[in-house]
Amino acid sequence: MWGSRSSRTVVIGVAVAVFVAASVLPLGYMLARFAAAESGSAAVLLDARQRTLLFNTALLGAGTALLATLIGAPLGLALARVAVPWKAALRLALAAPLALPPYVVALAWVHLTGPAGPVASALGPNVLSAWTYSLPAAILVLGLVLYPLSMLASEVAFRRIEPRLEEAGLVVAPPGRVLRRISLPLAVPSVAAAALVVFVLAVSEFGVPGLLRVRVFTTEIFTAFAALYDFGRATLLALPLLALSTLAAAVAIRLVSGQRVVSRRGTDGSQPLPLGGWERRTYVAAAFVLAIALVTPIAVLTWDAMGVSTNVFQGSRLAARNSLVLAAVGASFVTLVAVWLGYGRARVRYRLGAAIDVLCVVLFAAPSTVVGVGLIGLWNRDGVLGGVYGTDGMLLLASLARFLPVAVLLLAGAVRYVPVSHEEAAAAAGAGWWRAMTRIVLPQVGPGLLSTWIVVFVLAFGELGASILVAPPGETTLPIRTYTLVANAPPAELAALALLQSGVVLSPLALLGLGLAWRTR
Amino acid sequence: MLDDFSLDVDAGERVVVLGPSGCGKTTLLRLIGGLELPDAGEIWLADQLVATGGRLLVPAHERRLGYLFQDLALWPHLTVWGNLEFVLGSIGVRKADRPERIREALALVRVDALAHRRPSELSGGEQQRVALARALVGKPRLLLLDEPFSSLDAELRAVLRGELVRLQQSLRLTSIYVTHDRDDAAALADRVVRLGGRS
Repeated sequence: MWGSRSSRTVVIGVAVAVFVAASVLPLGYMLARFAAAESGSAAVLLDARQRTLLFNTALLGAGTALLATLIGAPLGLALARVAVPWKAALRLALAAPLALPPYVVALAWVHLTGPAGPVASALGPNVLSAWTYSLPAAILVLGLVLYPLSMLASEVAFRRIEPRLEEAGLVVAPPGRVLRRISLPLAVPSVAAAALVVFVLAVSEFGVPGLLRVRVFTTEIFTAFAALYDFGRATLLALPLLALSTLAAAVAIRLVSGQRVVSRRGTDGSQPLPLGGWERRTYVAAAFVLAIALVTPIAVLTWDAMGVSTNVFQGSRLAARNSLVLAAVGASFVTLVAVWLGYGRARVRYRLGAAIDVLCVVLFAAPSTVVGVGLIGLWNRDGVLGGVYGTDGMLLLASLARFLPVAVLLLAGAVRYVPVSHEEAAAAAGAGWWRAMTRIVLPQVGPGLLSTWIVVFVLAFGELGASILVAPPGETTLPIRTYTLVANAPPAELAALALLQSGVVLSPLALLGLGLAWRTR
Repeated sequence: MLDDFSLDVDAGERVVVLGPSGCGKTTLLRLIGGLELPDAGEIWLADQLVATGGRLLVPAHERRLGYLFQDLALWPHLTVWGNLEFVLGSIGVRKADRPERIREALALVRVDALAHRRPSELSGGEQQRVALARALVGKPRLLLLDEPFSSLDAELRAVLRGELVRLQQSLRLTSIYVTHDRDDAAALADRVVRLGGRS
């Protein structure tokens, strides 16, 4: 349609080059270093210690995926089918835990259940304290942070079921049976795919198992880098994680692409099967989940932070400002590059597209510490590259490396909702590619651009694993400051810093929620 | 798939390509429109070679065609006026000349009063007319129509068919219309070309 000499080739070519340089090369560098290292080290992966790591890591992933699905899938069904008022605001509130940095929630858990915490004070030290630092605790924390992914995916899956499929069932069966035998099986592939994505995110998480002293691959990788300076070992330990992530991503993508349901936008007026009479139960369930996942961590940290001197915030003002500015600039760069890649991904053929999806998920799931060392290896050298090293540019590169892949996936999803025929109509009308993109495609992707920016901002603001390694000397961000103070600072100060971080990421969401509630009043 | 197929269309001629689903009618239009590339053979528009086997010599947006898609492809974020204005802006019509051209095109299909509505606010028949206006506003040298009336009821279909005949005659449009409906073919064609095994 556009020809190879159109501006599309140049724009997407540049975006691909940035993607390769920023996201692929750091990981590729580490794998190349590993491949060049002495042979025989692969045997390390098979010893008893590594098998324990693999077991813990897989259990962490599976347990988190199961818990997130048990919480999120029913909520997603309710959001899709129950006619509750203020639904947009409710959805935003239920999604808010995803914005909390996971290690902040882990910190709240430690403060809540630790020997000096309120549970121990009220019920005695032996009720929960033994579980404070444990694998089940890590599963609980990550499940409470990641359930919104399952919820949102489930809601989309239930909304996209062809209404006539359910209507054909309603002609012969009651609604409950239709829901169980027709709707649920049709939504299962998407729900399962979301569970696999949660699995990947859980196994690549560093902050929570690190804080809760759980031995998994990510914590071992960090130890290998930070304590032992053994880059080869660290990269070696990343391989099982990458293998797990690749397998999970491939299965998830296969599940979603194999679905037979097609969304028809009510061209004949048919509506999906509603769940009448569930409004109150939905609100009760939502209130319960929010109480545990959002209110309790915030309340615990607030309680602990009471009475803390404002000097804590004074001392962290620079770190907070750095985090805000770097996250905003990083989100802008990432979105600017990702929109062209997402468009390209949305328009390529299935097999190539599936391969791109797997690559993006694997890159996103790559341990942040491995990415950090890869960035150091690539940029810490003489010449032009070395000019960037030691500046805030490295923190922006860390954002690009880590979050460009997920932004590509999000924007590809948004572009897919713009029919190809709209672009073709623009071409037939005489518009070149750039005009068609800027006047026809991008305006229809506006909400997707905004939501991608917000997601990347939240992720970049809370980024720790790569930032802690590449931050220039004397420069810090709020997550780095919080994490490095864990061993030394009083609990009240840590709680205050964690609250500050939570407040910064939740405030825009709260404003958005108020705006949505105002619009739908 | 189209195999061993040739078609010559004279200026001002109305050709209807008739055939069952899957016989390649839409593919034919998409090839002419530059939305797909032929594996072999040549496509000429007014003595200009625009595509040959595997090579796109003139991209779609430079072929000066009007295209009416089966799903209409009206841009939902633009009003009716905006949909037509986009076409004129793309082909380089001066801003000062655009309002008159748009009003003229809307009047041709009798949707003048709908200029500032969005496509989602229009009925099926109104959307069809707007899509036709958008295909005509650029004064194309060839009009391609891909079963534009297939989703309409019989009565509306007959009305719009009559309007299209009127427009084709008054504007002396060269057009290629693909359909599987014999009534469409009978009403709209100077010449009927059959695809799908029969010539």
